[in-house]
Amino acid sequence: MSDAPSHAPEKSILPSWVKGPQDFIGGIALMAIAAFALWASSDLQGMHGFSFGAGTAPRMFGILLLALGAAVTVVGVLTEGPRLAVYAWRGPLFVSLAILCFALCIRPMGMVFSAMASFLIAALGTAETQWKETIIVGACLTAFCALLFPYALGLPLQMWPTFLIR
Amino acid sequence: MGDLFSNLGLGFSTVFQFVQWAPPFLGGLSIPIPINILLCLIGALVGTLVGVLPGIGTIATVAMLLPITFGLPPVGALIMLAGIYYGAQYGGSTTSILVNIPGEAGSVVTALDGFQMAKQGRAGPALAIAAIGSFFAGCVATVLIAVLGAPLTKLALAFGPAEYFSLMVLGLIFAVVLAKGSVLKAIAMIVFGLLLSMVGSDIETGASRMSFNIPELADGLGFATVAMGLFGFAEIIRNLDAGGEEDRDLVQQKVTGLMPTKKDLKDSAPAILRGTVLGSILGILPGGGAVIASFAAYTLEKKLSKHPQRFGRGAIEGVAAPESANNAAAQTSFIPLLTLGIPPNAVMALMVGAMTIHGIVPGPQVMQKQPELVWGMIASMWIGNLMLLVINLPLVGIWVRLLRVPYRLMFPSIVVFCSIGIYSVNNAPMDVVLAGVFGLLGYWLIKHDFEPAPLLLGMVLGPLMEENLRRALLISRGDATVFFTRPLSASLMAISAFLLVLALLPALRKKRDEVFVESES
Repeated sequence: MSDAPSHAPEKSILPSWVKGPQDFIGGIALMAIAAFALWASSDLQGMHGFSFGAGTAPRMFGILLLALGAAVTVVGVLTEGPRLAVYAWRGPLFVSLAILCFALCIRPMGMVFSAMASFLIAALGTAETQWKETIIVGACLTAFCALLFPYALGLPLQMWPTFLIR
Repeated sequence: MGDLFSNLGLGFSTVFQFVQWAPPFLGGLSIPIPINILLCLIGALVGTLVGVLPGIGTIATVAMLLPITFGLPPVGALIMLAGIYYGAQYGGSTTSILVNIPGEAGSVVTALDGFQMAKQGRAGPALAIAAIGSFFAGCVATVLIAVLGAPLTKLALAFGPAEYFSLMVLGLIFAVVLAKGSVLKAIAMIVFGLLLSMVGSDIETGASRMSFNIPELADGLGFATVAMGLFGFAEIIRNLDAGGEEDRDLVQQKVTGLMPTKKDLKDSAPAILRGTVLGSILGILPGGGAVIASFAAYTLEKKLSKHPQRFGRGAIEGVAAPESANNAAAQTSFIPLLTLGIPPNAVMALMVGAMTIHGIVPGPQVMQKQPELVWGMIASMWIGNLMLLVINLPLVGIWVRLLRVPYRLMFPSIVVFCSIGIYSVNNAPMDVVLAGVFGLLGYWLIKHDFEPAPLLLGMVLGPLMEENLRRALLISRGDATVFFTRPLSASLMAISAFLLVLALLPALRKKRDEVFVESES
């Protein structure tokens, strides 16, 4: 997303010597991920003799990523680059909630309920949602999936809540 | 030559295989159905259907539809996936011509002239030329795969672990050089992918790595999970904050008169030919693929044309060349996958994921042990292209109507469909959560201008690279120079180094950016 926002320059929280905030933050985050991976694989066995231990390759890639992250950060400091993109909160929040809801509901409540519920939660992700059509489309999609996955594709999925089946 | 025909014969007989189907409601009566052709047809149809939806690219389409092929036998599943892939690609060009929203990077250039043609009321010929060009390119590429397949496999069998490792390095470097955007960031993404592939149990020692005692992580991060998160969910979230509705100025006129005129055909024939050649070459290169092929083909046409100013104003060559190149590259990129077992791009990486789920380890052995799988797939490519031509032209009206589906209804449907798909792979709710996490990660990556495709490629190649590196070093008794002393490996490494240096040189970087710049102007 390279299209820079056209409105007035916002005040950056980053110091002024950072010329490309997008790369700067991106590089730091990569370094953090690499450091975390190095920590997580620190208890694994390293080289013994000629042969690799379980930890050799993860450590190799971790160190490589650390170096690359540092390079991206340096590029972010030295070269003019795009500012931080503006994050929307509504879309990511409700889509994540919908996914989470599905994951939590699918075992106890079955597919029909979970699909409908997460459809409605995901629909909250945009202000354009009109509830009447959303509910109709959600119901149709749920019915379609209830036919497609178990019957047409032969994937065993539980349809209804466990307490109803028992 | 005789080999070639017997191989292709095997392929076509696999594709035309009939299965006796005896549904209970017919009372014991069985009907023969051509199962593989049917799967190819369904794949192409469904692929187009999803690929047409604006904002959903080829990779996302293939990732999303991956679970529906899991219940099938391996040959059928791969044929269907291949069908989905072409369908998605064709769907992407339809959207770029009709709505000016390229569904995927590969059809960005098609939108330049295609949409202009549509505005002039010539959407029909544009779509027809795209289909005809793709079909022609597909035919050529299919023959090319069949011709190159066997000899390359023989070459691959001579490869030792050191050569394999060097070849993978070369592939990854190619992927970086031919990709859009910063070289450094693309390399960082590949290494990130390699690191992610380390999660799970170590193949040799069985030690659990970075799995934090989460049972779902013990087998490693599911490939389908990561792909759906990074491409499916992330794209949805990204599209949401772009405001799905604002930039959809759909061509409102009815699409009439599909047939291109004689002049159209005459103008586009050489463009199709050049596009096919260029695309076929770029597709075979590891790391190459549809995106660079269509950009390069468009640039070439513009350079060769006597009236370059026509480009961007509805020149039919501007549709014909990139579309042919696109499709040729999409198919020839199967060559490294089928012969060497190395996926050259993200879509092929998804194919590897699908193969692994069916218990097939891609590589030269597959062609020898399961020839009906490989040749069946190759033959199905040709059939798939024919089907696209036959299905899509009459169905354009339906695709246009699909484009009118508002995003506010589309995205919750995709969220639900993806969730069910991921859950159905292992019946594990944790996988759905992980895909959500990767969706957020993908959103963050997009916001910071990191490309998710190299990450996926790194993730697939990770275990292969580790295994070959280990073996090579074990055989050479710990001597790391083995990669530079064995002639084949050394030359592969030398090419990699050379390419990387070239990519970092400012002069060439400018040239490379020039090829991609068309999309912005």
